[in-house]
Amino acid sequence: MNNQRPPRAECPSACKPVILLFGLLFGLLLILFTGCARQSIILVPDANGHVGKAEVSTTAGSQTLEKPGDMTRTSGSSKPPSAITTASPEYIASTFREVLAIEPPPAQTFTLMFESGTKLTADSQKIIPDIVSASQRPIAISVSISGHTDATGSDKLNDALSLDRARQIKSLLLQSGVKPELISVSSHGKGNPLIPTPDGVAEPRNRRVVVVVH
Amino acid sequence: MKTSVCTVLFALLLSTPAIADPPAETIGHIQTIEGLATIHRDGSTLPGKAGATLLRGDRIRTGKPGALGIVLTDDTTISLGSGSEMTLVDYAFEPKESKFALALQFVKGTLSYISGQIVKLAPDKVQLQTPDATIAVRGTKLLIEIKE
Repeated sequence: MNNQRPPRAECPSACKPVILLFGLLFGLLLILFTGCARQSIILVPDANGHVGKAEVSTTAGSQTLEKPGDMTRTSGSSKPPSAITTASPEYIASTFREVLAIEPPPAQTFTLMFESGTKLTADSQKIIPDIVSASQRPIAISVSISGHTDATGSDKLNDALSLDRARQIKSLLLQSGVKPELISVSSHGKGNPLIPTPDGVAEPRNRRVVVVVH
Repeated sequence: MKTSVCTVLFALLLSTPAIADPPAETIGHIQTIEGLATIHRDGSTLPGKAGATLLRGDRIRTGKPGALGIVLTDDTTISLGSGSEMTLVDYAFEPKESKFALALQFVKGTLSYISGQIVKLAPDKVQLQTPDATIAVRGTKLLIEIKE
Protein backbone atom coordinates (compact mmCIF):
# COMPACT_ATOMS: atom_id res chain seq x y z
CA MET A 1 0.00 0.00 0.00
CA ASN A 2 2.91 2.27 0.68
CA ASN A 3 4.05 1.81 -2.86
CA GLN A 4 0.88 3.19 -4.29
CA ARG A 5 1.74 6.16 -6.38
CA PRO A 6 -0.24 9.33 -6.20
CA PRO A 7 -2.96 8.88 -8.80
CA ARG A 8 -3.18 11.05 -11.92
CA ALA A 9 0.11 12.87 -11.45
CA GLU A 10 2.10 10.39 -13.55
CA CYS A 11 -0.68 9.13 -15.70
CA PRO A 12 -0.47 11.42 -18.73
CA SER A 13 3.09 10.53 -19.67
CA ALA A 14 3.01 6.87 -18.64
CA CYS A 15 -0.49 5.84 -19.74
CA LYS A 16 -0.96 7.72 -22.98
CA PRO A 17 1.25 5.41 -25.06
CA VAL A 18 -0.50 2.39 -23.59
CA ILE A 19 -3.93 3.77 -24.41
CA LEU A 20 -2.73 4.66 -27.90
CA LEU A 21 -1.34 1.18 -28.38
CA PHE A 22 -4.62 -0.43 -27.32
CA GLY A 23 -6.48 1.89 -29.66
CA LEU A 24 -4.23 0.92 -32.54
CA LEU A 25 -4.49 -2.78 -31.76
CA PHE A 26 -8.25 -2.57 -31.52
CA GLY A 27 -8.39 -0.76 -34.86
CA LEU A 28 -6.18 -3.38 -36.49
CA LEU A 29 -8.25 -6.24 -35.10
CA LEU A 30 -11.41 -4.56 -36.33
CA ILE A 31 -10.00 -4.34 -39.84
CA LEU A 32 -8.67 -7.91 -39.76
CA PHE A 33 -11.78 -9.61 -38.44
CA THR A 34 -14.70 -7.65 -39.77
CA GLY A 35 -13.20 -7.17 -43.23
CA CYS A 36 -14.99 -3.86 -43.26
CA ALA A 37 -13.35 -2.65 -46.49
CA ARG A 38 -15.74 -3.99 -49.06
CA GLN A 39 -14.32 -3.77 -52.55
CA SER A 40 -15.92 -4.26 -55.92
CA ILE A 41 -14.08 -4.89 -59.17
CA ILE A 42 -15.97 -4.74 -62.45
CA LEU A 43 -14.90 -5.50 -66.02
CA VAL A 44 -16.29 -3.08 -68.60
CA PRO A 45 -15.72 -2.51 -72.34
CA ASP A 46 -13.14 0.17 -73.27
CA ALA A 47 -13.87 3.08 -75.65
CA ASN A 48 -13.49 0.76 -78.67
CA GLY A 49 -15.89 -1.80 -77.23
CA HIS A 50 -13.03 -4.18 -76.48
CA VAL A 51 -13.38 -6.37 -73.38
CA GLY A 52 -10.26 -7.99 -71.94
CA LYS A 53 -9.84 -10.21 -68.95
CA ALA A 54 -8.94 -9.74 -65.29
CA GLU A 55 -8.08 -12.22 -62.58
CA VAL A 56 -8.78 -11.03 -59.04
CA SER A 57 -6.88 -12.91 -56.33
CA THR A 58 -6.77 -12.82 -52.55
CA THR A 59 -4.71 -15.18 -50.43
CA ALA A 60 -7.78 -17.44 -50.24
CA GLY A 61 -8.76 -17.75 -53.86
CA SER A 62 -9.36 -16.05 -57.19
CA GLN A 63 -12.06 -15.19 -59.72
CA THR A 64 -11.70 -14.38 -63.42
CA LEU A 65 -13.74 -11.58 -64.98
CA GLU A 66 -14.34 -12.24 -68.67
CA LYS A 67 -17.64 -10.76 -69.81
CA PRO A 68 -18.72 -7.11 -69.82
CA GLY A 69 -20.27 -6.25 -66.46
CA ASP A 70 -18.66 -9.19 -64.65
CA MET A 71 -18.15 -8.21 -61.02
CA THR A 72 -16.50 -9.75 -57.97
CA ARG A 73 -16.43 -8.40 -54.43
CA THR A 74 -13.88 -8.87 -51.69
CA SER A 75 -14.24 -8.45 -47.95
CA GLY A 76 -10.76 -9.06 -46.64
CA SER A 77 -7.49 -10.33 -48.06
CA SER A 78 -7.85 -13.70 -46.32
CA LYS A 79 -11.31 -14.40 -47.73
CA PRO A 80 -11.89 -15.59 -51.28
CA PRO A 81 -13.41 -13.08 -53.73
CA SER A 82 -17.17 -13.52 -54.23
CA ALA A 83 -18.61 -15.55 -57.10
CA ILE A 84 -19.02 -13.55 -60.31
CA THR A 85 -22.21 -11.51 -60.57
CA THR A 86 -23.27 -8.93 -63.14
CA ALA A 87 -22.98 -5.30 -62.07
CA SER A 88 -26.24 -3.49 -62.70
CA PRO A 89 -26.04 -0.47 -65.01
CA GLU A 90 -27.69 1.56 -62.22
CA TYR A 91 -24.93 0.67 -59.75
CA ILE A 92 -22.24 1.57 -62.29
CA ALA A 93 -23.95 4.83 -63.24
CA SER A 94 -24.46 5.99 -59.66
CA THR A 95 -21.21 4.83 -58.03
CA PHE A 96 -18.88 5.72 -60.91
CA ARG A 97 -20.66 8.82 -62.21
CA GLU A 98 -17.79 11.17 -61.26
CA VAL A 99 -15.08 8.79 -62.42
CA LEU A 100 -16.65 8.20 -65.82
CA ALA A 101 -17.28 11.93 -66.29
CA ILE A 102 -13.65 12.89 -65.59
CA GLU A 103 -12.07 10.16 -67.77
CA PRO A 104 -9.68 11.81 -70.23
CA PRO A 105 -10.86 11.53 -73.84
CA PRO A 106 -8.99 8.82 -75.76
CA ALA A 107 -5.67 10.02 -77.17
CA GLN A 108 -5.33 10.83 -80.86
CA THR A 109 -2.70 8.56 -82.37
CA PHE A 110 -0.95 9.23 -85.67
CA THR A 111 1.38 6.77 -87.37
CA LEU A 112 3.93 8.07 -89.85
CA MET A 113 5.63 5.56 -92.14
CA PHE A 114 9.14 5.69 -93.61
CA GLU A 115 10.41 4.43 -96.97
CA SER A 116 13.71 3.50 -95.34
CA GLY A 117 16.20 5.50 -93.31
CA THR A 118 14.58 8.81 -92.39
CA LYS A 119 12.62 9.36 -95.62
CA LEU A 120 8.97 9.91 -94.76
CA THR A 121 6.41 8.44 -97.19
CA ALA A 122 4.38 10.98 -99.19
CA ASP A 123 1.13 9.81 -97.57
CA SER A 124 2.56 10.30 -94.11
CA GLN A 125 3.75 13.80 -94.98
CA LYS A 126 0.08 14.72 -95.44
CA ILE A 127 -0.75 13.76 -91.83
CA ILE A 128 1.45 16.48 -90.31
CA PRO A 129 -1.25 19.22 -90.43
CA ASP A 130 -3.69 16.88 -88.62
CA ILE A 131 -1.17 16.44 -85.81
CA VAL A 132 -0.70 20.19 -85.60
CA SER A 133 -4.42 20.87 -85.26
CA ALA A 134 -4.83 18.07 -82.68
CA SER A 135 -2.05 19.67 -80.62
CA GLN A 136 -3.79 23.04 -80.73
CA ARG A 137 -7.02 21.87 -79.09
CA PRO A 138 -7.39 23.48 -75.66
CA ILE A 139 -7.29 20.14 -73.83
CA ALA A 140 -4.04 19.02 -75.50
CA ILE A 141 -1.27 18.75 -72.91
CA SER A 142 1.28 16.49 -74.52
CA VAL A 143 2.59 15.39 -77.91
CA SER A 144 4.74 12.31 -77.51
CA ILE A 145 6.80 11.16 -80.45
CA SER A 146 8.24 7.65 -80.50
CA GLY A 147 10.54 6.32 -83.22
CA HIS A 148 10.50 2.64 -84.28
CA THR A 149 12.37 0.35 -86.67
CA ASP A 150 11.87 -3.11 -88.07
CA ALA A 151 14.01 -6.02 -86.88
CA THR A 152 16.73 -5.87 -89.56
CA GLY A 153 20.16 -4.54 -88.59
CA SER A 154 21.92 -4.34 -85.24
CA ASP A 155 20.24 -3.06 -82.06
CA LYS A 156 22.67 -0.15 -81.98
CA LEU A 157 21.80 0.87 -85.51
CA ASN A 158 18.07 0.50 -84.88
CA ASP A 159 18.19 2.50 -81.66
CA ALA A 160 20.00 5.34 -83.42
CA LEU A 161 17.73 5.18 -86.47
CA SER A 162 14.52 5.19 -84.42
CA LEU A 163 15.78 8.24 -82.53
CA ASP A 164 16.71 9.99 -85.80
CA ARG A 165 13.20 9.31 -87.12
CA ALA A 166 11.58 10.68 -83.99
CA ARG A 167 13.79 13.78 -84.00
CA GLN A 168 13.05 14.42 -87.63
CA ILE A 169 9.31 14.42 -86.90
CA LYS A 170 9.94 16.66 -83.90
CA SER A 171 11.60 19.32 -86.06
CA LEU A 172 8.84 19.00 -88.68
CA LEU A 173 6.20 19.54 -86.00
CA LEU A 174 8.09 22.47 -84.48
CA GLN A 175 8.33 24.11 -87.92
CA SER A 176 4.60 23.55 -88.38
CA GLY A 177 3.72 25.36 -85.15
CA VAL A 178 3.44 22.69 -82.43
CA LYS A 179 4.39 24.22 -79.06
CA PRO A 180 7.85 22.94 -78.02
CA GLU A 181 6.84 22.54 -74.35
CA LEU A 182 4.28 19.87 -75.30
CA ILE A 183 6.74 17.66 -77.16
CA SER A 184 8.60 14.66 -75.81
CA VAL A 185 10.71 12.24 -77.85
CA SER A 186 11.58 8.60 -77.24
CA SER A 187 13.16 5.87 -79.34
CA HIS A 188 11.89 2.32 -79.10
CA GLY A 189 14.25 0.69 -81.61
CA LYS A 190 12.72 -2.62 -82.67
CA GLY A 191 11.31 -3.19 -79.15
CA ASN A 192 7.69 -2.08 -79.75
CA PRO A 193 6.74 -3.36 -83.21
CA LEU A 194 3.34 -2.90 -84.85
CA ILE A 195 3.76 -6.30 -86.49
CA PRO A 196 5.92 -8.62 -84.34
CA THR A 197 8.53 -10.47 -86.44
CA PRO A 198 11.61 -12.62 -85.76
CA ASP A 199 14.98 -10.82 -85.86
CA GLY A 200 16.28 -10.02 -89.33
CA VAL A 201 12.85 -9.78 -91.01
CA ALA A 202 12.22 -6.61 -93.06
CA GLU A 203 8.76 -5.28 -92.23
CA PRO A 204 7.95 -1.83 -93.70
CA ARG A 205 4.98 -1.36 -91.35
CA ASN A 206 7.36 -1.34 -88.37
CA ARG A 207 9.45 1.51 -89.83
CA ARG A 208 7.43 4.24 -88.25
CA VAL A 209 7.04 7.13 -85.88
CA VAL A 210 4.00 7.18 -83.64
CA VAL A 211 2.74 10.54 -82.45
CA VAL A 212 0.26 10.46 -79.57
CA VAL A 213 -1.57 13.67 -78.69
CA HIS A 214 -3.17 13.71 -75.26
CA MET B 1 43.43 23.38 -52.47
CA LYS B 2 43.71 23.26 -56.20
CA THR B 3 43.39 19.52 -56.27
CA SER B 4 40.30 19.53 -54.07
CA VAL B 5 38.58 22.09 -56.32
CA CYS B 6 39.48 19.94 -59.30
CA THR B 7 38.16 16.86 -57.59
CA VAL B 8 34.88 18.56 -56.78
CA LEU B 9 34.51 19.83 -60.33
CA PHE B 10 35.33 16.41 -61.72
CA ALA B 11 32.86 14.76 -59.37
CA LEU B 12 30.19 17.25 -60.40
CA LEU B 13 30.91 16.55 -64.04
CA LEU B 14 30.56 12.83 -63.43
CA SER B 15 27.45 13.07 -61.32
CA THR B 16 25.42 15.50 -63.42
CA PRO B 17 24.09 12.98 -65.96
CA ALA B 18 23.19 10.58 -63.18
CA ILE B 19 21.17 13.26 -61.42
CA ALA B 20 19.54 14.54 -64.58
CA ASP B 21 18.46 11.16 -65.91
CA PRO B 22 16.49 8.50 -64.08
CA PRO B 23 14.85 9.85 -60.90
CA ALA B 24 13.05 12.86 -62.34
CA GLU B 25 11.64 11.07 -65.36
CA THR B 26 8.08 12.08 -66.19
CA ILE B 27 5.87 9.00 -66.28
CA GLY B 28 2.60 10.74 -67.01
CA HIS B 29 0.38 13.79 -66.57
CA ILE B 30 -2.80 14.86 -64.90
CA GLN B 31 -5.03 15.30 -67.93
CA THR B 32 -8.39 16.32 -66.47
CA ILE B 33 -9.28 17.65 -63.03
CA GLU B 34 -12.22 19.03 -61.10
CA GLY B 35 -12.26 20.21 -57.51
CA LEU B 36 -9.39 19.49 -55.16
CA ALA B 37 -6.57 17.00 -55.60
CA THR B 38 -3.02 16.68 -54.30
CA ILE B 39 0.15 14.89 -55.34
CA HIS B 40 2.33 13.56 -52.51
CA ARG B 41 5.99 13.26 -53.42
CA ASP B 42 9.00 12.71 -51.13
CA GLY B 43 7.24 14.13 -48.10
CA SER B 44 5.89 17.23 -49.83
CA THR B 45 2.39 17.96 -51.05
CA LEU B 46 1.83 19.51 -54.46
CA PRO B 47 -1.45 20.87 -55.79
CA GLY B 48 -2.99 18.76 -58.55
CA LYS B 49 -3.66 20.67 -61.76
CA ALA B 50 -4.20 19.89 -65.41
CA GLY B 51 -0.87 19.25 -67.12
CA ALA B 52 0.98 18.47 -63.85
CA THR B 53 3.74 15.94 -64.42
CA LEU B 54 3.77 12.71 -62.43
CA LEU B 55 6.79 10.76 -61.23
CA ARG B 56 7.32 7.21 -60.09
CA GLY B 57 6.31 6.86 -56.44
CA ASP B 58 3.75 9.68 -56.48
CA ARG B 59 0.67 9.24 -54.30
CA ILE B 60 -2.43 10.95 -55.63
CA ARG B 61 -5.42 11.97 -53.56
CA THR B 62 -8.69 13.64 -54.45
CA GLY B 63 -10.72 15.81 -52.09
CA LYS B 64 -14.46 15.82 -51.53
CA PRO B 65 -15.51 16.87 -54.05
CA GLY B 66 -12.62 16.23 -56.38
CA ALA B 67 -11.92 14.07 -59.41
CA LEU B 68 -9.10 13.67 -61.89
CA GLY B 69 -7.88 11.70 -64.88
CA ILE B 70 -4.27 10.59 -65.38
CA VAL B 71 -2.55 9.37 -68.53
CA LEU B 72 0.80 7.60 -68.24
CA THR B 73 3.35 7.63 -71.07
CA ASP B 74 2.33 4.12 -72.20
CA ASP B 75 -1.32 5.33 -72.48
CA THR B 76 -2.43 3.65 -69.24
CA THR B 77 -5.35 5.80 -68.11
CA ILE B 78 -6.53 6.07 -64.51
CA SER B 79 -9.41 8.17 -63.22
CA LEU B 80 -10.31 8.88 -59.61
CA GLY B 81 -13.60 10.05 -58.12
CA SER B 82 -14.08 12.00 -54.86
CA GLY B 83 -12.22 10.95 -51.72
CA SER B 84 -9.97 8.55 -53.62
CA GLU B 85 -6.32 7.64 -53.31
CA MET B 86 -3.79 5.69 -55.34
CA THR B 87 0.00 5.28 -55.60
CA LEU B 88 2.12 4.96 -58.72
CA VAL B 89 4.35 2.39 -57.02
CA ASP B 90 6.53 1.41 -59.95
CA TYR B 91 6.78 2.27 -63.62
CA ALA B 92 9.16 1.56 -66.47
CA PHE B 93 8.36 1.89 -70.17
CA GLU B 94 11.55 1.39 -72.15
CA PRO B 95 10.78 -0.86 -75.12
CA LYS B 96 14.30 -0.36 -76.50
CA GLU B 97 15.75 -2.12 -73.44
CA SER B 98 12.72 -4.43 -73.08
CA LYS B 99 12.28 -2.86 -69.65
CA PHE B 100 8.70 -2.75 -68.46
CA ALA B 101 7.02 -2.32 -65.09
CA LEU B 102 3.69 -1.06 -63.89
CA ALA B 103 2.60 -1.35 -60.26
CA LEU B 104 -0.41 0.60 -59.09
CA GLN B 105 -1.83 0.57 -55.61
CA PHE B 106 -5.48 1.53 -55.33
CA VAL B 107 -6.06 2.61 -51.74
CA LYS B 108 -9.62 3.91 -51.52
CA GLY B 109 -12.50 5.52 -53.32
CA THR B 110 -13.80 4.97 -56.83
CA LEU B 111 -11.43 4.44 -59.74
CA SER B 112 -11.30 3.39 -63.35
CA TYR B 113 -8.30 1.77 -65.02
CA ILE B 114 -7.74 1.44 -68.77
CA SER B 115 -4.72 -0.59 -69.75
CA GLY B 116 -1.98 0.81 -71.99
CA GLN B 117 0.94 -0.51 -74.03
CA ILE B 118 2.82 -2.13 -71.13
CA VAL B 119 0.03 -4.69 -70.71
CA LYS B 120 0.32 -5.58 -74.42
CA LEU B 121 4.11 -5.83 -74.43
CA ALA B 122 4.70 -7.41 -71.01
CA PRO B 123 1.44 -8.46 -69.28
CA ASP B 124 3.33 -10.23 -66.49
CA LYS B 125 5.02 -6.98 -65.47
CA VAL B 126 1.73 -5.38 -64.49
CA GLN B 127 0.55 -5.45 -60.88
CA LEU B 128 -2.65 -3.85 -59.70
CA GLN B 129 -3.27 -3.96 -56.00
CA THR B 130 -6.31 -3.17 -53.85
CA PRO B 131 -6.24 -3.44 -50.04
CA ASP B 132 -7.70 -6.98 -50.38
CA ALA B 133 -6.63 -8.34 -53.73
CA THR B 134 -4.16 -8.39 -56.59
CA ILE B 135 -5.52 -8.08 -60.11
CA ALA B 136 -3.88 -9.56 -63.20
CA VAL B 137 -5.14 -7.93 -66.40
CA ARG B 138 -5.17 -8.65 -70.10
CA GLY B 139 -5.85 -5.45 -72.07
CA THR B 140 -8.97 -4.11 -70.50
CA LYS B 141 -10.93 -1.53 -68.56
CA LEU B 142 -11.88 -1.99 -64.92
CA LEU B 143 -14.02 -0.09 -62.45
CA ILE B 144 -13.00 -0.40 -58.81
CA GLU B 145 -14.82 0.70 -55.68
CA ILE B 146 -12.97 0.56 -52.36
CA LYS B 147 -15.12 1.40 -49.35
CA GLU B 148 -13.36 2.50 -46.20
